Amino acid sequence: MAQPVVEIRHVSKYFAKVIANKDVSFTVHQGEVVALLGENGAGKSTIMKILYGLYGADEGEIRIRGEAVHIKSPKDAMSRGVAMIQQHFSLVPTHTVTENIILGNVHGRIAIKEYEEKVKAIAESYGFDVPVDAKVGDLAVGVQQKVEILKALYLNANILIMDEPTAVLTPQESENLMVFIREFAAKGNCVIFITHKMKEVMEAADRIVIMRSGVVAGDVRKEDTDEAELARLMIGQELTPPVRTEAPQQTGEAVLELKGVSALGPEKTPVLQQVSFSVLPGEIFGIAGVSGNGQDEVCEVICGSRPVTEGAVLFRGQDITQQTIRQRIDGGIGYVPVDRYRDGMIMDMTLAENILLKNSYGGRWTSKGFIAQKRLNDYTAQIIKDHQVKATGPSDLARSLSGGNQQKVVLAREIDVGQHLLIFNQPTRGLDMGAVDRIHHSILQEKEKGKAVLLVSTELSEIFEMCDRIAIMYKGRIMGIYRNGELDTQEIGLMMAGVTAGKEGQ
Amino acid sequence: MKRLKDRYGEVLLFNIGAVVVGLILSACMLLFMKLNPVEVYSTAFLKIVTDKYTMGEVLVKSTPLVFTALAFAFTYKANLFNIGAQGQFYAGSIVAVTLSLQLGTVLPTPLLILLVLLGSFLAGGLVGALIGFAKARFNANEFLVSMMSTYVVSAVMDYLLRTVLRETKGEYLQTDPIDANAYLPSVLPGTRVHLGTVLAILTAILVWVLLYKTPLGFRIRAVGSNATAAELAGIRSKRIYVVAFLISGGLAGMAGLTEINGVQHMLLQNFNSSIGSFGIGIAILANGHPLGILFASLLFGFMNIMGTTMGRMPGLNIPSSIIDLIEGIVMICVIISYFLRGYVHNRREKQRLRKAGAQK
Repeated sequence: MAQPVVEIRHVSKYFAKVIANKDVSFTVHQGEVVALLGENGAGKSTIMKILYGLYGADEGEIRIRGEAVHIKSPKDAMSRGVAMIQQHFSLVPTHTVTENIILGNVHGRIAIKEYEEKVKAIAESYGFDVPVDAKVGDLAVGVQQKVEILKALYLNANILIMDEPTAVLTPQESENLMVFIREFAAKGNCVIFITHKMKEVMEAADRIVIMRSGVVAGDVRKEDTDEAELARLMIGQELTPPVRTEAPQQTGEAVLELKGVSALGPEKTPVLQQVSFSVLPGEIFGIAGVSGNGQDEVCEVICGSRPVTEGAVLFRGQDITQQTIRQRIDGGIGYVPVDRYRDGMIMDMTLAENILLKNSYGGRWTSKGFIAQKRLNDYTAQIIKDHQVKATGPSDLARSLSGGNQQKVVLAREIDVGQHLLIFNQPTRGLDMGAVDRIHHSILQEKEKGKAVLLVSTELSEIFEMCDRIAIMYKGRIMGIYRNGELDTQEIGLMMAGVTAGKEGQ
Repeated sequence: MKRLKDRYGEVLLFNIGAVVVGLILSACMLLFMKLNPVEVYSTAFLKIVTDKYTMGEVLVKSTPLVFTALAFAFTYKANLFNIGAQGQFYAGSIVAVTLSLQLGTVLPTPLLILLVLLGSFLAGGLVGALIGFAKARFNANEFLVSMMSTYVVSAVMDYLLRTVLRETKGEYLQTDPIDANAYLPSVLPGTRVHLGTVLAILTAILVWVLLYKTPLGFRIRAVGSNATAAELAGIRSKRIYVVAFLISGGLAGMAGLTEINGVQHMLLQNFNSSIGSFGIGIAILANGHPLGILFASLLFGFMNIMGTTMGRMPGLNIPSSIIDLIEGIVMICVIISYFLRGYVHNRREKQRLRKAGAQK
């Protein structure tokens, strides 16, 4: 076999609290597309960031074209033909496409027209339809990603790393990207893409490196494997078929109702436009969509952290549009935010204190003006037991728990707060299968109790598995509301891309 | 619980180490002056521990430092930086001296002291609350605002000392002495130790209880650790900013009571001009912990007196400014140790993981 282009040999990386990579070894050959498959937190991004020079390896070595290299910075990496497209793009929104591409690689007077021609030529050679003189901030996410790719191509990268490239794309855009990846590799380049979606792997990869808890759990050729084997390698156990609960027709007065709600984003741009829907008691109402299409904002206007510019939010028949967050918490709205680190927990506080977080007002956890520590600790210990949280006790710091266990604590707190309505914003994102299963179980349990549930998810499988009714969001609008089963993946996919479906919604 | 104790031990070890290194480095300075540092240090040390009055002076010097350090630590828990304790102390002092001058002969001592306590707390608290308000309302940088506020308050103080508060003789920029009726009562006969020292200890305990045992303290710490999560939990971080700064400023203002009514018995220009900055260092030394502050303040009080004692040693000609040098060097060592501690901690965690990984 020819000499591999990239060789990663026994690389380990330790962070202050975790082993990110342990003895990771794999190779990439010329013209090969390698998928790095694994759950979130398996160490995929870390090993790629080491290859790209963002992190230094603690042990092991990296060889590029047979030569042992010490990559100290992305600039170093780029000089060896390695380019990485991050999950979050590194583009300057107020600059044009061309300016972004040449950024950092020009000196003195810039002959912008010349560069524009050059960029245009590269774009055309790959069939990219990118306006070279448009401001990046005005472009759709899919096009922005193309700009990132062009940036790499402009620097003559021949080893292209992509971190979860399809996370922000619609199904159709993803397909186009896969075509590009194949085409780019066919020209004798290498592509390594990070993903946790099995479908993409089977579609585009030649070889699949599976990572689990920081180590390589498998390295297989696509022809020799199937999705079931990959899933087993990825999670370390057989997948159990999901429990689909029956969804009886719901009746009763809506617990939550949004009436033509609009809201503005940071630059006074509309992030929500005329959003209307209602959630009934005992119902799970799903919102599907590519992330960043207004789902977060919907949750925020309901829980009260984002002001509404138009329309009204009704909760149990009462207009709560002007109520404060605290009033809504007291009213019985629980909210599990998407970003637990930023919004849901205080990592440097104990589990007991995190349970107290939403209840520090009122007399529930105080006696004579002081915190009733004993009572709070007992309650937290009970939660740890009931929800099978892996922790030694209520005085554990939240930070010391794994993501799944942290999420169980948040969930327990919010289920208690949300006596009438529960909002879940991607509650299982980045968790291992065991934790996902438990959380789905808890959500269904609350539904059985007659609570209204709003579930935002970017994973269609989760939406199909859990929801009674499904709304699809695109650019801050509801594209339609359907009963589960009325639409297939293809139709939802089109609506997620902003194409209005032929069928009319209810 | 075990892990927590380990950490306290670590903090203690690093701090003692830093102080020792600081003292050794300062000793080098003495060497340059062709003096034997061991001899100078031990003579000074012996002088302090054997003389009751000098021992008392350590407590007297430590007292205001407790308040300014508590002031810094309190906002620090809300992830805010109040580096204007000096100004808040001046505000407290102005009110303390004014009340004492006006009512010193009218009210009975306990009532007067209580009134001055309240007044100085409110005066410092008002200055603090304004900074908190600027932060909450206009998103001003509290670091800069609190820093500049010191200059504003001291300018106001100078103005008052030149006008309405000026002594009747009109000679110096200072007030008349307050009546003995307004003095804080002495608690240790034969020394200058006054009730303010007891007050400092009580206040430190009170601050600890407030921060760790009450819902308000919990909310302050919550906002300090993660303001967005706190906000989503219905806690209005902006309100917390104002409250935290009010209490912080009030704590610094209380030093006005102990210094005016306990020690100086008048207000003068450039009064105790470095207790604000030392408070910051002490709070860092104590890792922001109210009870640790008591000990750290004691250490700095001790060093202060040691410097003075060294300066008074016959025939050696040690400039009294040597103490600024020693305190400064020790402070730098403490701050360096703070970062070193984090570094060592990280390294150890890595080592542990490496071992754990190898065993797999």
